[in-house]
Parts: sequence; C-alpha cells; structure tokens
Amino acid sequence: MSFMKKSLTLLCVGAMSLALVGCGGAKEQKSADGGKVKIEYWHVASESFGGATVKELVEEFNKTHPNIEVTEKYNPDMYKGLTQNLQAAIASGKNPDVVQMGWSYLNYAADNLKYTDIPKMVEEKIPEDKNFLKDNYLPNVLALARTDDGRQVGVPYSISVPVLFYNPEIFKAAGLDPANPPKTWKEVQAAAKQIKEKTGNMGFFMQEFADNWAQQALLESNGGTILKKENGKTKAGFSSPESAEAYQLIADMVKDGSGLHATNEEGFQAYLSGKLGMVCTTIGKRANFEKTAKFEVMASAFPSFEGKQLKVPAGGNFLMVFSTDDAKQKAAWEFIKFIESPGALAKWSTGTGYLPPRKDVEQDPNGFKKMIEENKNIQAALSTMPYLVQWASFPGANGLQAEQLLIDVRDVILSGKQTAADALKETEDKINKLL
Amino acid sequence: MRKGTIPVILFLLPAALVFAVFFYWPLLQNFYLSFFQWNMISPNMKLVGLDNYIEILTSPELVKILVNTVLFIVILLIFNFFLPYIYSYILGHLVQRCNFIYRAILFMPSIISLAVASIIFLWIYNPLAGPLSIVLNSIGLESPRWFKDSFLVIVALSTIIGWKVFGYNLIVMLAAMVAVPKEMIEAAKLENASNWLIFKKIILPMTSPTAVYVFTITVVFGLQYVLVPVNMLTQGGPDQASSNLVYIVYQYGFVFFQTGKAAAFAILTMLCYGVFLWAKTKFLDKKVHYEN
Repeated sequence: MSFMKKSLTLLCVGAMSLALVGCGGAKEQKSADGGKVKIEYWHVASESFGGATVKELVEEFNKTHPNIEVTEKYNPDMYKGLTQNLQAAIASGKNPDVVQMGWSYLNYAADNLKYTDIPKMVEEKIPEDKNFLKDNYLPNVLALARTDDGRQVGVPYSISVPVLFYNPEIFKAAGLDPANPPKTWKEVQAAAKQIKEKTGNMGFFMQEFADNWAQQALLESNGGTILKKENGKTKAGFSSPESAEAYQLIADMVKDGSGLHATNEEGFQAYLSGKLGMVCTTIGKRANFEKTAKFEVMASAFPSFEGKQLKVPAGGNFLMVFSTDDAKQKAAWEFIKFIESPGALAKWSTGTGYLPPRKDVEQDPNGFKKMIEENKNIQAALSTMPYLVQWASFPGANGLQAEQLLIDVRDVILSGKQTAADALKETEDKINKLL
Repeated sequence: MRKGTIPVILFLLPAALVFAVFFYWPLLQNFYLSFFQWNMISPNMKLVGLDNYIEILTSPELVKILVNTVLFIVILLIFNFFLPYIYSYILGHLVQRCNFIYRAILFMPSIISLAVASIIFLWIYNPLAGPLSIVLNSIGLESPRWFKDSFLVIVALSTIIGWKVFGYNLIVMLAAMVAVPKEMIEAAKLENASNWLIFKKIILPMTSPTAVYVFTITVVFGLQYVLVPVNMLTQGGPDQASSNLVYIVYQYGFVFFQTGKAAAFAILTMLCYGVFLWAKTKFLDKKVHYEN
C-alpha cells in the first residue's frame, strides 16, 4: 500500500513539474470588463525611435475612447522581427488588430498573411467613412500600399525618403560651400574626392542596411529598375546598363578611397564623429543625427542624375488590420483614424522624423507647419515627395531570399570583386531562377 | 520484474518526459518539416520529398558555409580552448601572488551579454572612428574594413565570442589545474624536472577530462554563440562570408520564412555535430585519464 502511495506521489510530482514547464501561460481573451473592446497595436518603435510617442498616442486614445482599450506592443528587430511574431501569432490564432508593416513587405504580406481588407470592411460596416482614404491621401501615396493587382492592403502611415546628410565643417575645410551641396551624382563624386584630398577624411557613404532601399533610389533615378514585367510576371530587372552605371559610380568612389564601404552603424558612427563628409540615408535618421552630432547636421534632397527623373522609394510603414470580429474591426478603424489625424501625425513625425502621408497635415496649424518652416532638413526631404515610388519587393515565397541575394551582391560590387555590370547580371539570373 | 525497478522508472519519468517532449519531439518535428515547403502559417503544407535536401546539398552556398563553419571553430578553439588552457596553467602554477585579482579581471567579460559585447566591438572595430583604427593610424597603418572583408569578418566576430567565453572556460580549466596534487609537482621539482616536463607529464594528463569538456563546449556552444553577433552585425554578410551552419538555419527559417529548407539545414547541422561527437568519443576519450 505504502509503495502505491509513494508511486502515486511521484506521478503527481512528475505531472506537476511537466505542467509547470509545459504551459507558458494561456492568455485570457475577450473583454471581461463592461463590454470594452480590447485591441492590440503592434509597432516597431523602439525607445529611441518614437516609442514614447506611440505610448503617448495610445494613452490619449484610450482616454478619449472609453469603450475601446488599445494595448501597444513593441516588436524588436524592425519589420522582420514583427513579421516573425505576426506569423507565429496568426498561426496560433492570437492575432493582433492593428499592425505597422514595412513597405518592402507589401507583397509578402499580401500573399501570405490573412489580413482584413480595409476598404471593403469600411464600406460594409462603417459606410460613413467610405471616402476617408480617397479624400485624405494623395493618389500616389495611397498607391504605395497597393499591390500590382490592385488590392489596397493597408493605410499609408509613415513615410521616409533618402536624403543626403553632410557635415558643413568638413565641407568648409575642403573648400566646398555648405550652402550649395551637391545636386547631382557627378557633383557628389567630385565633392567626395575633394574632401578626401583636402581634409584626409572619408567623403561619402551610402547606407548599407539589410535592404536595398537607398540603392533602389540610385538605380531608378538613373533610369534603371529593380523589377520588370514580362508576360504579366514580375521579374528582377536590375541588370540594365543604367543600373550598372549608377551602381558602379558608388563602387568607383570606394575604389579611389573617397567612398566608404562598411556596415551601416560604422558609417553612421564615422559621420557623427566628424570623420565622414556625406551620408546618404533616410530622413528618418534626422532627429537622431541632429541630437547626437557635435556639428550642425545639414541635409539636402537625394541627388539626381543629370537630365533624368528623380525617383525615391518610400520607406517607413503602412497600417494593416488583422481583426476578425466586427467589434474589433470597428475599433481598429477608429484607432487608425485617430493615429492618422493631423495632430497625432504631427506628434509621430516629431518623435520619429517620418513624413506624414496625409495631404493636409503640412498646412495644419497643430505644430507640424511650424516645424517645417524652422527645419531646413525636413524641407529638403519634403521636396522629393512628388517623386515617390513604391519600394520594390520581390514576389512569391522566395521573395525575401531574393532580397538577400541583392544585399549580398552589394558587398561584391562595393568591395570591387566584380564590376557592377557583371555582378548585377549574375544576381539577376539567380533571382529569376528563384522566382 | 526485479524489485525496485518500478520506483526507478518513476523517478526517471519526469526528467525523461521533459527531455522527450522538449528535445526529441522537436527533433522529430523538425525532421518531418524538412520534407515540406511551408512558411509557418500557410494552411497548405506542400510535400516536396527530398527536394529540400537536394537543393541545399547542390547549392554553391553549402561549401562556403561549411568552410566558414570550420574557420569559426578553429579560431574559437584558439581563443576559448588553447588560450584558457595556457593561462590557467600560468595562473594555477606559475603565478604566486595576487592570483584572485587576475581571475576576477579575466572573468569579468563573461558576465556581459553577447548583444552588448557586439555593440562594444562594433565601435572598437570602426574603420574610421574606432579606437583600434586610431592605434593603427598612429603607426602608419590603415584600418581594414573588419566587417566587410570576407576572412577578417570571421576573425572579428570570433574575437567577440572569445572575449565573452574566455573567462568562463578559464575558471573551469583553473579548477582542474589547482586540483592537481601539489605533492606530485613538488616531488617532480625535487627531481629537477623543468616546468615544461611537469606540464607535459603531470599537468596535461591530470587535467585531460576537463580539457576535453572545455574543448567540446567550445565547439558545440561556440557556434551557437556566433549567432548573436552575426545576426546583429553582419546578417551573414559580406556576401555570406560570415554565414555558418547555425546562422543559415536561422536565416532560412526566420528571415526567408522557408521552414522546410531551414529544417533540412538543421538536420545537416545535427549530423555534423553528431560526427564531431562520435570522433571525439572515438579518438579523444581514449587518451583521457580518469582518476577512478
């Protein structure tokens, strides 16, 4: 008998320890308190990049909307991290409601995630708002969140464009005029060379994030393209002579010692510590640069190629909805309208450096107008808004791997292992085989 | 059944169950996944048979990744096995005073997280603004682009792991070193044995069980540690020069969302580790001197 008892106890202990390790904690869903609709907002705003603004906006919304409760959740590692978490959440049926999604994930999200069709949802369930998108957004901005086959996947939220930051002190020391920064890539090349020769500092660095955003702006502004359509299928098309010529220009700068090829953080550190003349990167870095640098940070519009049309891909994010039930969908829409209101957008823009997607915000008296007037760097970025194009993203299940191949070839070209023309051709073939 | 067998089984059961559920079940799951094309959320998993294996085994990246992996292991062995071994001998038997200070100083980096260490080294290695480049400049050299050169990137990343793991391995080795009976060494000294002879004939065999342990964790854990700085600083770049068997699994699984291929790579990694452990047991364990 006592043996049985002992074994039983052991079993119980075993089962309990299993239970303890096994379940991470089942989360309670659904509203428990007085019919309040609870929704979750997922974002990528870290403490140093708009995190405080997100918290402020959510708090304000919860205060002014007593029937809705929004909880915000920060996802580290930008949109990659967020997409990972989102995949897992959807797979386990605990999807968030409103989500910030990066522009380059547009096709991937549209093809692989079960999202709520916002225009359709609004038209069916909130008919009084059915013209909201059309009335408040520029058509070219709205089109940024639309797939090739015309599906409006989300609502544009944050917009960034690449600009050219420069260090006026290095400019002066090199005999360049800070009031008259380079406007074309030929001028950038010449300025970089002059900086290297006169001051010994490095001249130029183009961001090397784990994406090809800035490089797309470069290639497409010279008349190249990242994607092309062939028989109705989207394929990689970046091996044209124009693309190669543009890419080679950067590689030549690295080769003659006036351009820097390093990791992104290294490039920024070098710029901020006054060892680098020009950095081509997102306007989203403005607030951070202005605060950190010991010199006056100046920015000018993304340089163009002589006589050619400027094209800058939109960076930042758009908002997607993943709610499935009615109440949550309506609450999500209410929340989107709130964070896309001019006042909220102005706060978001101040906290992050992003440009607002709505057409009336720049003129709105709620703060942003004054900021634009005072800050020349924002003006430089805003001046390229009419040339916004979609951030190219490769279609299909292998799209993200294709993107990585284009990142890999950047190292090949910039390290001078192969010419831009050869390397791009090779990679284009590889990607098209993959797609 | 022999008396007492049931309690034995019951005592083992909780641990065995946890082990089965959290180690062997995922392994089986992973094996199962490697035959599918799937992105983790799509409701339809496509059965592709051996395609994933064929693709990764015939891809040109495989050779690159295997070579990188071996390079990482070799450099990590220098930093985390060879150096701690030498240092622990010096600290345990040659340095007579202020021993504890050295120990504390050398162990310190181990308590800093790898993510923090990565950021620190990113700054140290900065080719224009980092302290290392300033030192190099002052003697007339130009700093290499550490994280953009296909070989140096492996060295640079390994130093981060080395810096972090060195202290821990040193303490483990040191424990074995000081456990070597002093009388034995003194007796040898009376016979006029040189330090080298003492090292070779007494220290080496007496510390071999611990050395094999440190050797094994250097290889097995070292590669897993590499994931953090690779993911933070290079994402496998430049042009896959810092990618390795562990990072490639992560990249396919959680960057490209190609679960099947990631699973196939994971099985391949598992096999490589298996071969390593088999070789270790076969060739090394025989030479180890166990006291009992």
